Order: sequence, then C-alpha cells, then structure tokens
Amino acid sequence: MAMGADRYASRADTLIFVGCLALSFAAMSVPDTVREPMGRVLRQTVLAPFLALQEASEELRTSRARFDAVAAQRDSATLEAAFLPELRRENDRLRSLLSLGQRLSWGYAPAELLHQAEPTNALTVVVSAGRNRGIQPLSGVVSPEGLVGVVQSVDARTSIVLTWAHPDFRASAMAEDGSVFGIVAPHGAAGPGVWLLELGGVAYRRVVPEGTRILTSGLGGVLPRGIPLGTVIGVASEAEGWERTYLVRPAVHPAAVSHVMVLTASRADIRNAFETGNAREDRR
Amino acid sequence: MRRSDKYRYLVVLAGLVALHFSVRSRLGDDRVAPDFLLLALLMYTVRSQPGRSAAAGFVVGVLRDALTPASFGAGALAHTVVGYLSAWGKAVFFAENMFVSGCLFFAGTWVRNLILVLASGTLTGEVLGWQLLVWSPLQSLSTALTGILVLWLFGRWMMVRITTA
Repeated sequence: MAMGADRYASRADTLIFVGCLALSFAAMSVPDTVREPMGRVLRQTVLAPFLALQEASEELRTSRARFDAVAAQRDSATLEAAFLPELRRENDRLRSLLSLGQRLSWGYAPAELLHQAEPTNALTVVVSAGRNRGIQPLSGVVSPEGLVGVVQSVDARTSIVLTWAHPDFRASAMAEDGSVFGIVAPHGAAGPGVWLLELGGVAYRRVVPEGTRILTSGLGGVLPRGIPLGTVIGVASEAEGWERTYLVRPAVHPAAVSHVMVLTASRADIRNAFETGNAREDRR
Repeated sequence: MRRSDKYRYLVVLAGLVALHFSVRSRLGDDRVAPDFLLLALLMYTVRSQPGRSAAAGFVVGVLRDALTPASFGAGALAHTVVGYLSAWGKAVFFAENMFVSGCLFFAGTWVRNLILVLASGTLTGEVLGWQLLVWSPLQSLSTALTGILVLWLFGRWMMVRITTA
C-alpha cells in the first residue's frame, strides 16, 4: 500500500487543525504563572523518561571523554595523533569544573545542560538538577569561566535556566576592582554587538578601560559577589554628561557549555572560586 | 496492510524519538544536528490524514515547549502548521520518491524554524537572519539527509513506495 494521493483534508481535519491553532495561540498568550506549571507537569510526567534518557546519554558521553583522556595521558604519542580537539576541550572544561567545585567547596550542585534543537535553545536551557539536589529559583548557574544564567523554575529532577542571552536577564555588576557599578543586560540581537552583554548605568565621569573584567556585585542579594560576567571591549553608547553604556564580551556562551554548577546556598562573595584568564592560561 | 507492518512502523518512529534524546547531542552543533523528533512527526504525517497530523504536531510542539519555555506556545503553533501542511501537501501535490520526500523534510524543518522564531519573537535583527538563512537551512539539510537514509533503510516498513526517479 502506498500513500494515498487522493487523500485531501476533510471538514473534520480542518476543524482539528483550527482547534490546534487556537490552542497554540492560547498557549502563547497565557501568563508565566500558568505556562510554568503546565510545563512542569509535562516535564515531570510525559517527558521524564526522555529527559532521563538524555541525561544518561550525556553522562555516557562524559564518561567516554574522561576515559579517552586517561588513555591519552598514558600514551602521549597517540594523544597527539588521535585525540580529537573537541574531546580535548571537553576534558579541559570538565577539569575546570572539578577545580571550580573544589574552590567553591560547598553550596553547589553539579548538573548537565540538556540542549534542545530549537533556535531559542541558547535563551533558556534545561539542566539535569532540580529540587532533588536543593536547587531553588533564582539560584546562580556558573561554569568555570563565569555566569551562565539564573534558575527560572525548578522541577523535581530538572530546572529551567534563564541564560544571560535572554532579553529578561539582568544582573547587578561591578568592575573587578570595585570602582564602578552598573547593571548588566543582553546587548540585543541586532548590529555588530550581537550575543554581547552591555554594562549600563555607569556614571559619565567613571571611565572603564577596555579589558576590565566585570563581575557580579552581589547587590540585590540574588547572585553572590564575584562571578565573572565578561570583559569590557568598548563603549556602546553614551548620554552626554550623564552616563555611559559599555559593551561586554561574555565570559561564557551557553551553547558551548555542557556541564555547570548550580549555586544552592546563599553566599556573599565567591571571587576566589573563579580563576583569572591569566591563571587559566598558566595552568594550561 | 499486515499487523506486523504497523508495529514495525511504530518501532521506527519510536527509534527516531529515542535517537533524538540519546544520540543527537553527539552529532555536533545543536543548530545543525538533525531534528529526529521533527523527522518522526513528518514521517507520521506522510501517511496520516491532515487532522491527525495537526493534532500530532500540536502534541509534539507542546512537549517541546515544556523544554524550551522561551518559545512557549510558538512550538505548538509551528509543529501544528507543519504537521497539517505536510500531510495535506503530500496528499495533494507530491509524488512519492526519495528526492521529493527529502524536499518535504527540508521544507518542513525550515518552515518549523521560521514559524517558531517569528511567533516567539525572541530573535531579531542579524541573529534572525543568520538563523533563517544559515543555521536553519543547515539543520534542514541534515534532517532531510537523515530522513532519506531512514526511508532508504526502512521504506517498506514505513509503507512508503520509494522510487528514485
């Protein structure tokens, strides 16, 4: 039997289609307070086995990468000939993550990022840790390089993370030496500054040189002080005599991250947990 | 149609869903790797009526929206439209051969991404352009090639008569 070339949409087909469209528009228009519980129910029921499968796959991939790393250390010649650059970077990221965990020492939960296929994947991501590991909404999500985002909502075994690229993301920030404070937000999706952050609300008389590292300031109490956000690369705009807005190159891109730490405890200052760029280069 | 054929067909679809959540993350960049879940939906629509295809698309879209809340509702809309148009278009316009099926998979993926990004409104400017003109075509191509491979391997089980002309 072949596909029916004489099959057309009946009235019932059209009604179902229109009904589904109406439900879709309704889903788009419901407020976050409604859509989040709906999503949570789906993630904890229908999608739970699939997320578990994806998590197991990620763990398998990590285990294999680490096994390859150990094998490569035993045979440096084979290492250079056969070790794939991507696995090398993965191994390096995992090592960085382990050292970040040692420096944080407490109050964190490791998790895998479960990337999805949609174009909006970089804006909100699912991580494989939820209430079972003590995650709470607004917990900071970090990688060894810096801040990835904040937890938006928490399920039993997974959480949704709002990354710094999401239009709603904001973080209280400061220069590394504490001389300048401001608010960091996504720069936008147009122009040459795409996928960059911007540091706004900086007083006009305060000049932030290029290369200055920007960290979370801890003001507001949501994120602890000292998580790297990025590096200043120039002035984005300025209001004459009033304030300047600086472009900031993010410390980490969500799409390039596979493992993160979710901060589960309220802490005041974790500057010492993150390496400077120079220190990381020295370690390599 | 034998009963065993139906089960084989369902096994292939289930296999695609399993591949989506297990293997896909190892196939490179998320923006380019084939979308097995959408492929399973498109293969379902190939032999289903438009109404059922739209409903299946809606269910798949809602489930995916639960995993990417940044575009909640937009995924349901996109998958509904793609499911309906795929089933309707396949019945009305298309002949049955490997190339046309590949084109259907390509167009389905690209249109899904188009509706998704426009309806969600989360991507604008250059990012939108790159998404629609670079990343989406690449993902559509990888999905189409995967679909052709699946049809080549399991075409008989999928009840699709494949010709190469």
